[in-house]
Amino acid sequence: MYTRATGPVLELNKAVPSFDESGLPPVPFSMKLMPGECAIIEVRDNSRATAFADMCSGLVPLVDGAVKFMGLDWADLRDREKNALRGRIGRMSHRSSWPDFLGTYMGIGLQQLHHTTRDMSEVVIEATQLSSWFGLPGLPVLRPDMLSETDLIRASCVRAFLGNPQILLLENLLEACPADLEEAFVGAVVAARNKEAGVIWLVRNNTVQRRYRQLATSMWRLVDDGLVAVRAG
Amino acid sequence: MSGGESKLPAQGGGDENDAILSDSIQMHQKQSLLLRLFLWLVKKTGALGRLVRHQVWFFLVMLGACWGVLFESISQNAWRRTVRYEFGTTMNSVIGGGLIATLFAGTLTGVAAVSQTIYWLGVAGMAKMTGSILINVVVREIAPILVGILLLGRNGMLSVTELGLLTTGGQIRSFQAQGIDPFLLLVMPRTLAFTVAGFTLGIVFSIASLLTGYIISRVSGVVTSPVWSFFNDVISAMSTADYIMIPLKFVTVGFVVGVGSCITGLTATSQDNLRTLLPRGFSRGMLIVMAVSVLFSLDF
Repeated sequence: MYTRATGPVLELNKAVPSFDESGLPPVPFSMKLMPGECAIIEVRDNSRATAFADMCSGLVPLVDGAVKFMGLDWADLRDREKNALRGRIGRMSHRSSWPDFLGTYMGIGLQQLHHTTRDMSEVVIEATQLSSWFGLPGLPVLRPDMLSETDLIRASCVRAFLGNPQILLLENLLEACPADLEEAFVGAVVAARNKEAGVIWLVRNNTVQRRYRQLATSMWRLVDDGLVAVRAG
Repeated sequence: MSGGESKLPAQGGGDENDAILSDSIQMHQKQSLLLRLFLWLVKKTGALGRLVRHQVWFFLVMLGACWGVLFESISQNAWRRTVRYEFGTTMNSVIGGGLIATLFAGTLTGVAAVSQTIYWLGVAGMAKMTGSILINVVVREIAPILVGILLLGRNGMLSVTELGLLTTGGQIRSFQAQGIDPFLLLVMPRTLAFTVAGFTLGIVFSIASLLTGYIISRVSGVVTSPVWSFFNDVISAMSTADYIMIPLKFVTVGFVVGVGSCITGLTATSQDNLRTLLPRGFSRGMLIVMAVSVLFSLDF
């Protein structure tokens, strides 16, 4: 679903995450992401990157401060509303996210089929187009455990970008992946930004930050003191 | 500092016959004994409390989950297409996959229990009680337990394993990150599919066992009446309450096996693996099936 947002798509307002629940440093995190912006955040530790993305998705309880998505504070919402909002987030995560009892095609389309009333054929067509874009021969119908690691990453990209999400929380799964996938990924990020999606790209080292600094509207580093802005160039 | 305290001798020295010191030591010993007793009691009651809490915890979670399933199932928003898909898939798997096993178990029960009952009641001259005894023993007592065990063994354990591995593997957290409530997507449709399957397989089991029992008795010459007459005797022996209680028992067994299996899987911790999950799931499932059977037998 494509909607036009005016305020920040994501706002961390001195949000102090619970250390016990997330492992993130219990310090205030502050950042603002407007529609169409792309923030590249350097996070050395994969589990921290996942925890940060969880915090942005309202999955981590806060000790203080607030995290707002599309102007709505996660803490003020009921479970049903939170789930509906999370349906507008596209995520790529280091965490295992493919249930074995569903085919990969179902895993890809699950979020769209659950949260929207889009026609099944429409979802399948979009997923097939994205699959081709990310270098898959078509929409994967095999079980996830029968796909190669690279194909599973391609499928993760398809799932994240499916349905024009309002925000993309992308943990960098592309290390040691073929160059064509990285190019397709960057192309998809640009296309998503053109549709006014906010993008948070969590990378492990500053090589990506240097390579794609034209793509980023802001660059950050997640350290023990919280989020530290990094100057471009 | 009081004057009395200043009279106390320095540590390691002093007069043992000092009356004040002696009283103080006795008092300290008495207090320390009481303190030790108190601490021992706290420790033991704490251990007992932990044990009770641990046992009651699952029961309370089960009660909450049962209510949650019933409550969510009547909510229109809950029946999204992903939920309907999971319901359909699980029902196909439970009923389709369990049909042959249930027919086989029903046939064996017919051979072992029904035909023997018909034979011995005939020998004892109590053939008129055949319908009543078959309803009370086979359909009301044996069928729900065996169907419950079949549901648990075939699909309940599968749910324990699947959901347990999803929980420990982090996929459940990923579902939440996508805004998909695991209770809505997995627990509710699976439980309701088990409920429908409990009723369906229970009726299939009952018919298979009664029919097999009749055929064996007819072939061996114990029964000479036609099959519809035999079934008429069985149905005539049913009271009005039986028409409610027998289906309700089948439905309840399916429901609790479904909830129990799903909740056991979903409450797995990071320390759990198949070696801990499967025995726990099986023992809980058996207890649940037996508890339902006993509860229904007590009151009705």
